[in-house]
Parts: sequence; C-alpha cells; structure tokens
Amino acid sequence: MQKIRNIVFYIFMLMLALQSYDLSAKNRFPKPEFESGHTQPKTITPSPRTLILEYLDVMVLLVSISLISWLILKKRSRKGVFLTGIFSILYFGFYREGCICSIGSIQNVVLALFNTQYKIPLTALLFFIIPVLYTLFFGRTFCAGICPLGAIQDIIAVKPIPVKIWLEKVLGIIPFIYLAFAILYAATASDFIICRYDPFVGFYRFDASFMMFVIGGLLLLIGIFIARPYCRYLCPYGALLNIVSRFSFIHMKITPAECINCKLCENSCPYSAINIPATHREKEKTSVMVKRYIMLSLILPVLVVAGGFITSNFHENLAMVNHKVKLASEILHNSNYGIKGKEAIEITAFKSSGQTVTQLNTEAAAIIAEFKTASWFTGAFIGLVIGLTLIGLSVFKYHVDYTPNKASCLSCARCMDYCPVLPEKKL
Amino acid sequence: MTENSNIYKDQRLWKIILIISGIFSFAVCMLIVVNYLQVNSSDPVNTRVMNALLLRLNQHPEDLALRNEIREFDLLARKAYFTSQWQIRMGGYLFFIGIILTLIAVIKLDTLNKKIALVSSAATEKIAESHKKARKWIAITAVALCLLTLLLAFLTHRDLSNSLSAKLTANKKQQSCDSTQLSSVPIQQADSSNSSVINAAADTAAKLSSNEFPTAEMKKNFPSFRGAGGNGIAYQKNVPLSWDAATAKNIRWKTAISLPGYNSPVIWGDAVFLSGAEGLKQKVYCFELNTGKIRWTTDVKGIQGSPSKTPKVTDNTGFSAPSVCTDGEKVYAIFASGDIIALDMQGKKVWARNLGLPVNHYGYSSSLMWVDNKLIVQYDQGNAANLYALSCETGKTVWTTPRKVKISWASPVIVNTGKRTEILLIAEPYVASYDPATGKELWKIECTSGEVGPSVAYANGIVFALNEYAKLVAIQIGDQPKILWENNEYLSDVPSPVANNNYLIVVTSSGEVACYHPKTGEKYWSHDFGSPTYSSPVMVGDKVFLMDKKGCMHIFKADKTFVLLGEPKIGESSVCTPAFAEGKILIRAGNNLYCIGK
Repeated sequence: MQKIRNIVFYIFMLMLALQSYDLSAKNRFPKPEFESGHTQPKTITPSPRTLILEYLDVMVLLVSISLISWLILKKRSRKGVFLTGIFSILYFGFYREGCICSIGSIQNVVLALFNTQYKIPLTALLFFIIPVLYTLFFGRTFCAGICPLGAIQDIIAVKPIPVKIWLEKVLGIIPFIYLAFAILYAATASDFIICRYDPFVGFYRFDASFMMFVIGGLLLLIGIFIARPYCRYLCPYGALLNIVSRFSFIHMKITPAECINCKLCENSCPYSAINIPATHREKEKTSVMVKRYIMLSLILPVLVVAGGFITSNFHENLAMVNHKVKLASEILHNSNYGIKGKEAIEITAFKSSGQTVTQLNTEAAAIIAEFKTASWFTGAFIGLVIGLTLIGLSVFKYHVDYTPNKASCLSCARCMDYCPVLPEKKL
Repeated sequence: MTENSNIYKDQRLWKIILIISGIFSFAVCMLIVVNYLQVNSSDPVNTRVMNALLLRLNQHPEDLALRNEIREFDLLARKAYFTSQWQIRMGGYLFFIGIILTLIAVIKLDTLNKKIALVSSAATEKIAESHKKARKWIAITAVALCLLTLLLAFLTHRDLSNSLSAKLTANKKQQSCDSTQLSSVPIQQADSSNSSVINAAADTAAKLSSNEFPTAEMKKNFPSFRGAGGNGIAYQKNVPLSWDAATAKNIRWKTAISLPGYNSPVIWGDAVFLSGAEGLKQKVYCFELNTGKIRWTTDVKGIQGSPSKTPKVTDNTGFSAPSVCTDGEKVYAIFASGDIIALDMQGKKVWARNLGLPVNHYGYSSSLMWVDNKLIVQYDQGNAANLYALSCETGKTVWTTPRKVKISWASPVIVNTGKRTEILLIAEPYVASYDPATGKELWKIECTSGEVGPSVAYANGIVFALNEYAKLVAIQIGDQPKILWENNEYLSDVPSPVANNNYLIVVTSSGEVACYHPKTGEKYWSHDFGSPTYSSPVMVGDKVFLMDKKGCMHIFKADKTFVLLGEPKIGESSVCTPAFAEGKILIRAGNNLYCIGK
C-alpha cells in the first residue's frame, strides 16, 4: 500500500514539475496595456499548453484508462478504481482544470464534421476516440474512474439510495436529449453547451460562476444520496458510451466464476445497474408481448417524424442561442438585450465592427435556416430514442444470474467486493 | 472489548468532525450566497448617495471639497465591491475545504459503521411491472415534452426568419429604388430645354456606362490615387521633365497644407483636391490648379457614429493615408476614423457617414475609387473585411461583399478588361475581382501573404501583384485565372507596380527598380536608385515618374534598356504619388503642395 502511495505521490509531483513547460507557451501577441491601469481578468478557459504537454495528457489518459481497465477486469480491485479516481480528480480535474475532457470533445468532433474551416486538434480527437474504443473493448471503464466529473461524484456517493427501475429508465432518456442538443449547437457553430453548463469544472478551476457553483453544489449534494446524478441523468458522453458499451467484447463480471445466486450483490450497486435474474415466471403472455412489440415498432416512425416536426417548429427559439441570431433579433425588435438606460455592449461592439445590419440579417437568416433543417434531425433523434427505449422495455430478457447491465454499468467494481465466489483455479 | 471501545471513540470523533465541518460548510455557503446577492444587487458607482453628490456637483462645479468627497466615496464604494468579490472567492476556498472535511468524515463513519450485507427479505421489484411503469411514464413524459414544446413554440412565436427576410427584401427594394431614381435622372434632365442640363445628363450617362471605363473625362483628369481607376497610368501630355526647387525653376506655385497626410492629390478640371488630418481634426482641401490658391477647406466633423476617441495609428501611416477621389460633381474622402464624406465642388457636405472604426494596427490607408456612380471602398479591416459600394448620390450602401482576408493597406484598382469592368483587390491570401454592378466575386486566386501594402497593376489581360516576403505574380485573368509566371527577386511593401502592354515596372521600398516583360516575366533590366521610396510609379506615355522619399523624381523610359531622362528635385521629403494635369505635375511634399509646370 505504501508503495502505491509513493508511486502516486511521485507521479503527481512529476506532473506538477512538468507544468513549468507551460512557460514556453507564451501568447503570440502580448495583451494590450490599458492606460487606465485596468488589469485584464483571467480567461475562462485554461491557458494554452505546449504541444508536448498536450500529448502528455493523451499519454496519461491512455496509461490511466489501461490501468483502470486492468484493475477492474483482472485485479477486480475496487480500491484500485478508487485510487485511480483520486488521481484523475487531481490530474484531469485540478491540474488540467477539467479541459480538455472527453465529454466536451464530442462538440469538437461534431464541429469538425460540419464546419470544414474548423481544424480539430489531434488531442481533442484522441480524447474523444480513446474512451470510446476502450468502452467497445472493456465496457465503461473510463466512467469508472478516469473521467474527473465521474470520479468526484463517485467518491461522494456515500449514502446511495436505490432509484426505482422505472424512474431510472425515464431519467435515462435525458442524456440522449442533451446529446442531441449539444450536437445541434456544435454543428451550427453556435455554442458548446456541454462546456458552458459543465457543473464541476468551476470547482476544478476555483472560479465557478454563481450559477455553476449552485448547480455543481446541488449535484454534489444530491450525489451523496443518489449516486452520480450527472453521469446517469445528464452526461451526453455517457449516453454515447451507453450505446457503445452494449457491444463491449470483455465487460466486467460480478462473479469471477459461476454465480451462486446468493443475492449479496443485489443492493450493492449504487447505480441500479445490476440485472436481477428474470425467470419465466415473470414473463407476460407471449401474444401480449408480440402485439405490443409490433404496435411500438409501428409507432416508432411516427415518433421520429413527430419529434422532427415539433422540434423544427421550435427552431427559432433554439436559434436564439446563436449570438448572431440573438443580435439580429435584438436590433430588429430594438430591445437592447432588455437593458435600459445604456446601450448593450453587444450592440456597441457590433456598431464598431463595421458590419452592416443587412449583412448581419443575411447571416442570421442563413443560420436560422440551418437550424430549421438541423432541428428536424434533433427532434427525430429524440423521437427515435424514446421509441427504441419503449421497444426495449417490451422485450423480456431471460437470465438466471446476477449480471451487470452493460449499458448502464459504470464499472465502479463495488459489486465485486460483495461477491463471495472465488475465482476458479486453473488446473 | 477494547477494540469496540476504540471504534466507538473513533465514531464519536468523526461524528464531531462531521457536525462541525457540516455546520461550517453550510454557514460559509449561506454567507457566499448572501454576499453574492448583495454584490449583484448593487452597482458601486451608481448608488443613490453618489447620484445625489454628482447632482450637487453639477450645480456647484467649482466646489473642490465636494469633488474630493465624491472621489473618496467612489474609492470607498469600489473598495467595498472588490472586498466582497474577494470574500466570495475566499469563501469558495473555505467551503471547498469544509466539504472535503465533511466528506472524509462521512466516508470514515461509513467505514466504521459497515455491516455485513444482508439479503433483502422483501420481494424484489417485479421486472415486468417495472417495465410497464417505465413505459407508461416514458409515454407520459414524451407527450408532456411534445405539448410543452408546442406550447412554448406557440407562446414565444418569433417569426424571426420572416421578419429578417422582410427586412432584407425591403433593403433590396430600397436599393433598386435608389438605382431607379439614379437612372431616371438623365431622362428627366434630357427633357429640359436647358443645354447645360442636357450636358450634365450626358455626363451622368457617360458615368453610368461601365463599358467606357475609364471614360474620356476620367482620362482627361486625374480623378483618384494613381490616376483613373488607380492603375498608375496618366493620359496627360506635355508633362515637364525638369524643375528645381532651389532655383524655383518650373515651380509654378507652392501652397502650405495645414494638416499632415500621406494621401496624394487628385485633379478635376481646374481644381486639385487632397485631405489632411491630425487625430480627429479632419479636413478636405481644394486648390486652384493654376494659382495654388486654396479655394476652400471643409472640416469633416459631427458625423454620426464617428469615434469619440482618436484612433491609434502609427506615424508612418497617419490619420489620412487614403487619397480622395472625385467624379467632377463631388469629391469623396475617407479617414482613419472610418468617417467618409462627399462634398460638392464648392466644399459643401452632400452626405457623410461612418463605416465603423476600422481595426487596423498601422492605420487605415486604402484609397477611394469610383465606377458607375458607385464609390468603391476596400474595407479590409480586422473585425470584418468588406468591399463596399456606396451610392455617389446618397452614400447609401448599394452592395456589400464580405471578404475572407486579412487586413490590407492596398487600394482598389478598376479596369476595363475589354469584356467587362472589374474591381481588382489584393489582400492576404488572394487577389480577387468583383463585378461593379453587383459586388459579385468574379474570380480569385490565392497567391499572396503578409501585410499587403502595394495595390495591383493591370495591362492586357494580366494582373500583377506583389508583396514583401511573398512573391511577384502575373495572373492571366478570367473565370479560371492562372498564374503565368512568378518571381521573388524584387518585391515591395509600399510602392505599387505599373504596367503597359510591353513593360512591367516594379519598385522596391529601398529604391530598386526592375523592368520585366509582362507576358513571360523575362527581366529586361534593374537599377538601384539607392534611396528609399514609398511613392508609386506613374506611367505617362513611355515615361515613368517615380518620386523617392528624399523628394527626387526619377524619370526614366519604359523600355528594354534603362534610360534615365532626369532626376529633378523638389527639395522636401515625399511619400505621395504625383498627380498629372496637362503640362503640370502636382506633388505633395513635406507640408506643401507643389505645382510643376511652365
């Protein structure tokens, strides 16, 4: 144990020492000096790093995700997962200030796909791909303790209350809706909403805005009793990994050998991610199930079209997030961003930009048209998710053992500690 | 027994820590919230007391004690504001420490209280029932979401795209209305029996025809920077080849200009125009060509949207680097502030507007040009690069074409290619051509980089573009433009090149001149005058006039061999390009305008 502590300590000190390389990542142009003596506030996003340190981040991600996968799948060590989580909080959280994170990298990837002018940084691409690939092979080991947002919630989940299955399923749709809107806004180059509403990054940077502080604080408070609320009911990257993990080749198992149905692990999962044995006794009549399945399958396209239609009708409201559309609207309605007595800074900035109102209106109209098309896809995707969830809930999956639910299991390894079964000895 | 009592002691200790840290965290959290609400609700410099004090100061502006009281109060209010900010930040750290302690205590207590997992005797949740309930609630949620979205869409119905489209259509109608009004002018005037009005109509009609660009009137005069269309060609004859400031030989007159400026003079009829500026003090000057007498000067001020603070420019560029231009009815000027003005030939304002303060770290310098009753403004500035066409009559924007380029200091060049009239612009990363009627981009070719200063030159279907640290390129124009040849031996960061069908003249800022074959790029000759040069060469017939910074005019032949015709001196430093009239040359040097001629 002392050895592990020493290793963790030395790695952390090394990371801190490497921070001195940031000195070479100077701004290309010096910041302007104000005659009034005004000092510039700190930027919201962390300072740029040298390329070598960015690659170091990728290396750290790769090593830590490999380590945690090994700890979960081979060593079955909850302690190992916990310690890796602490390391992630320190490195990806406090040291790297939560940026770049895999959750936000979805937006970089989407923006690069839809906007040819945007060149995605290789590190952002790797931060997106590596966890997806590892999930495809080993399940959601990234969520277990590498994601700093997940890790901070994991260590505070001390009094978890089980959430009813039906409520879990209903709330489980929210991350997909969040993902759909994050893609919509990134594809239209309007905003990176995942980063804007990241609840924990403010803590990591010690500069949370008030709202961020309240939301993050509330989530942490809730997280004591309802484990990982952000990961389960909000995280858009989790939604993506939820899908990928269903196809994972080597997923963690609760029992190292044959399950003896001792039920000891039944209440061990704080995330309600254990499939409880479902026997034929619980099965409904086959005819009823088939009828419902066919009906829901027929409803699915209706849900997709309805989702698309309804969301596209809401496209102008959605487009208001785009600052150009908002500005055009404010100028058109002469509403000055609701500010009375002085001109809104956005209007002043626009006036000094040299751009004409006609130009702005042309651009805004084009963006709104983009939103009209894109919101069709957003709504259709949400309709599809709801439809598929309903169909999924109509299928009876027969199984006799306690197994982790591949989609929602966060590979935290808590359940393993409860299993009395010993691994089979190879003869 | 001892072990149990130790556990009990530990439990008590951690319970106390938990309670203290929990209360501490809660209290700090509440204080932060209250502090935040307090800070947000008050504006430190806009309080009731402060406003009352300011009101009193307005009534008694000489009251120094009151002034000091306000200052002290202001300082106090600001200090209080920033202290609150500091408190919030420090509170955040304390809260964080408190939460960490609370967590550690909870985890410790949880570990100490750990009991063996018990198998629940209660019936587990029935899967089928749970799924049924989940289906029901998902359906309810989906319906609720749909209804909520539709309700919100209905309640907050914006119709923004229709409003924007209507606004854009209205703008287009307004523009077409402007052009209809303009095109109707000659017809109404032609109905009149007054012959001068008919002539004016004919002039306007001539101006409207782009096929005749540059018109005979333009050629007769010197309407813009580097002559008609800004291509560096002067059509005047009997131009003097020798003068001397020391002996006043061939110096017809010399008139002082009150404000500095690096813009070049332009000529129409018997009037010479130029501008000058120092900070926000901006003037347009009109001189009599024959006598040098200042006919009028007009202050350019009080323009709506004009910046209140002096724009930052470098000494090498100044506040009035762009040259004015004239169409014989009006003279147009633009300044580093973004102020643009049209004056009639008597110096009275016809219209004026501000195009927005250009973001330009040296200072705005692109000169104005006109074509087809439109004033062409190359506004390649930091915020948004645009090419504007303003109505010469009203100043309203006829069209705007956004450009994806860096800041440029070059000026537009307008040429007639035989098929059509084109506006040629250069800025990193490309040379591009635009239709004067619509602003539509006709072609573009990526071929340059850096901070582009020199404008392009055009001759016989070939555009010549260059920039320091980039290259000299000869572009065969057309819908599919191609680079005929390129060279990087002689490059320039200020003087523009000039060309005719047989020769291309390139001048470097250090005073080297090279002559090339325009089609093949074969270098005929090069010559080093050895003095820095910012002025652009002008071709007058087969002669090239090049003014260096010391005030020496190098006159040489555009020929296969270098033939120097003369090197007369004006006696003052000059960075401006000379203007040409019949038998006369106008030179801006030092703080003076010189007229050379017999």
